[in-house]
This record gives sequence, structure tokens and C-alpha cells, in this order.
Amino acid sequence: MSSNLGALLSATFYERGDEHLVEVIHQRDAARYRRLASLDIGVWDEAGTRLAAPAVDAGREILDVEALVAAVPGAPARVMVTFDARYDPAIFPYRPHHYAYLHRRGSPAPALYYAVNAGLGGVPDRIGATAINNFETYVFRRRPLAERYSLLLGCLSRWAPVEATITAHYGEARLAREVRLAPRAHVEVPLAAEHEGHRLARVELKALFRLVAYVVGRAEAGGELVLFDHLFTYFK
Amino acid sequence: MHRALRALARRLLGVRRTPAYYLPWITRPGLECALVLHNVEARFKPGWNEGPFELTAEQYGADGRLVARQRATVRDSTDAVELPLTAPREGCGFVVVRGERLHSDLYVCLFDGRTSTMTHGRGEFIERYPPRTRALLALLGGLAALAGRTLPAFARDQFVYSGTESRSHVLLLNLADVPNRIRVDVTRDGAPLGARLVRLPPCGAHLLHLADVAAPPARGTDVWRLRLTGNAWFNLYLVGAGREDLAGPLSLMHVK
Repeated sequence: MSSNLGALLSATFYERGDEHLVEVIHQRDAARYRRLASLDIGVWDEAGTRLAAPAVDAGREILDVEALVAAVPGAPARVMVTFDARYDPAIFPYRPHHYAYLHRRGSPAPALYYAVNAGLGGVPDRIGATAINNFETYVFRRRPLAERYSLLLGCLSRWAPVEATITAHYGEARLAREVRLAPRAHVEVPLAAEHEGHRLARVELKALFRLVAYVVGRAEAGGELVLFDHLFTYFK
Repeated sequence: MHRALRALARRLLGVRRTPAYYLPWITRPGLECALVLHNVEARFKPGWNEGPFELTAEQYGADGRLVARQRATVRDSTDAVELPLTAPREGCGFVVVRGERLHSDLYVCLFDGRTSTMTHGRGEFIERYPPRTRALLALLGGLAALAGRTLPAFARDQFVYSGTESRSHVLLLNLADVPNRIRVDVTRDGAPLGARLVRLPPCGAHLLHLADVAAPPARGTDVWRLRLTGNAWFNLYLVGAGREDLAGPLSLMHVK
């Protein structure tokens, strides 16, 4: 094992009823690239209380998050799951990320595949985030859809709370909301589809420190995820 | 070192790389596909953020032919323009979007009449091959194909998911102006499940249906390991499907 280990701290959200499989490493052909040096998992409720820290084999390539959360007694309908990884840089040939596959059981919606959102780890340059990455944006389709939008935000800091401003843009108008997240707390911030006759055009997220952030679209009928995507930073 | 050797090989073979921002597209009956063009990420980049931004979108089909060329104007860095890809009724491929001072990731959306899934494109390149290298590839690639193989110039590894309720198919994109033979080897827990050699025309595409490569599980979801090797530059997107498979709503998603 290299003495020059990288660090990657990232998180996703698990919702009851979802089949949710996380690719812990980028798949590589050579077997020596298929193992993290270590992986610490945390399961957190909305207030930031740690519900569990299940031990997992750092050599596991695919992590079944549904099974992992099912083993947590009293887990609420949605939890944040953190992945604190140490790795040999050769394991991640490109920008380090975990990837994941997600589908609500019984839903007609298509499966989603996404990049697990990375917060600042021990070596920010390895996650391609040397510039300010806590000022992010996303654009939306203007046509009416049978889905509800929101942001799912999680705080990865260990000690300090994080304040964030979410600004939704509608034509010339904007709606802003402040949130304050305790360490490891998380929240879903709904985004109104319309305001004063204008459709939601884009959203901006500004925070003092980087948050775990996903743009979420939920099917109006069943509430399952039909969009689960990362935002884009203004500063690359 | 590896990178330097590749650069040297490209120079010797006369291969040029043209920068290209591309997005995948899929159309099927009941499924609309549209691009969302904008430049919002350039908003705070002096010299890059002043509109209007004139964009062109060249849509290539699975056979590599130009299906459509569209123009769009993004008024300023907070504007967004939707560009429907209306033809053909059923097909797949990629769209190359060009525009000066464009400094944002663009989106492609699939809409089933109720909900819309989205993903972004990739800023990479398209490889251009000179005639002598084309001829060499055709000869050696043809011989390798007789044995079900390809010239392994590029390789990608990807997990895919095959389940009774959902699955992820693979949209292969040939980002080169030569035919690309891509061999797909599927394994599960180290055991081979199947293999397939797919020939993509220049700038063509192929939607690889998982069931054509290996049988899906009787219950639950299997995770399969794909090893893809091609004789020229290529990339892939995953195509998420639900219980109606390719006849139902789909999602597109970039990979690492």
C-alpha cells in the first residue's frame, strides 16, 4: 500500500423503499486497484445524530445501502449515509467519486445512476475542487412536469454548523431561503415549480463551506426520485 | 509515461483530436429528447459571460450520419434554450454542440409525457484518422474480428445492473471518424457471462441491450462487470430503464 493515501469524504441519501447500490471504487481491471485502504460508513438522521457506524470490508466493490440501513433499528424514512474513504491514488484514475445505482422498488420510473457527491476530504485537489466549490447552480426545464423539485442538503462538517442560502429564480423574480445545518444534519428544501406565473428556471446554492447537495425531482404521484443530480460550480 | 507513449503513437499514426462537447440522445415512441442549452456557469467569468451566445448542434445517428443541424441563441448567461431532437422517431446517437465562449455543462433530457430525467454532456474530442491509418485499422481490425476480437487501443470498465424491475443498458458512442469495433466482455463475480463484438460506424452509436449479452437474473438485481475495448476512441452513457424496459421511461447518465 502506498504511504501517500488520498481521502474522499462523500455522502448520499437513502430513502425507504429504494434499491440503492453504491460502487465503492471505480472499476479497474487489475485486482490491486479494487480495494480501498479504509472505509468508514456513517448513517445519520436529519438532526445529525449518528444512528450507526456499520463496519464494512474496504475490499468490497459494491455496497448495498438498502441492506445496510435495514440493519439500523428505528432508522427514519430518509437517512444520510457518509463514506469516509482512504485510498491509493492509483485506484481512482480520474476524479475520485463513488457512483451509485438507484431505483424505487415497484415504481415504473427508470433506474437512476449518479455520482455520489463528494465534500472536502483530506486532499481537495484530488476531488477537483481547488477553487470555490460552495457556490453552485442548476437549470431546469421550463415546461410543466408531473414532478416536484427540491434540494437535498447535508452537512459534512464535524464541529461547525453551516449556513446556506438557496435562491430559486423565476423570470426576473427570485425566492431565497436560508438554512442552517448542524454537523451531519440534513434537510430537503422544496423548490416551488412556479412563482408569479413563471416557471422555475434555475437554483443557486451558496454556503460558507461545501455541503453535500443533490438536485431532486420526485414523481408527483409516488414521490420516488426521477432526478438525483449534482449541481455545477461557477468556479472551475 | 503511458500518456506520452499514447501521444507518440497518435503522432506516428497521424491521428488528430478535435475538441468537441457532446451529449447522447435517444428517441423512442412516447419518449421525447431535448437539449437544454445555457451558459450559466460562465456568469462570473469576465470575457466569457457576455451574450448573446450563438450555438450549433449537430446530431449524429447510430449509423454515424448527420441527422440534423440546428442553431440556437442563448441571450445571456442566465438564459436557457430548449432544443427538441424530434427526428428520427426511434434512434440514438450523439450531438456535438459548438459555440464560442461556451463554458458550461449542457443537459440532455428524456421526457415520457410526465417526468423528465436529465444528465450532462462531456467536453472531450473526436479523433480524425488519415487514410493510411484507416486502411491499416480496416485490415488488422478485420482480421481480429474474424476471431471475435478487436484491436485494444482503448479500454473502459463499467458496472451495469440487470434486474427484474430495473436495469442499466449501455449507449456506446464512437467518437472517431473510423469504424470502431468494440468488444464487450461481461463477468459476474469473476465468472464470464458473455461477450459481444459490436461494430460502430464512424461517429456512430449502439444501444447495447443487456439481455442481448447475458441472461438477466430470475429475481433481484445482479451487478455485472463490463470490460469494453475498442480500436478507436469511444465513450458510453448508461441508460436506466424500469419495469417496461426500453418501451417505458428511460434515464441517461454519464459515467466516470
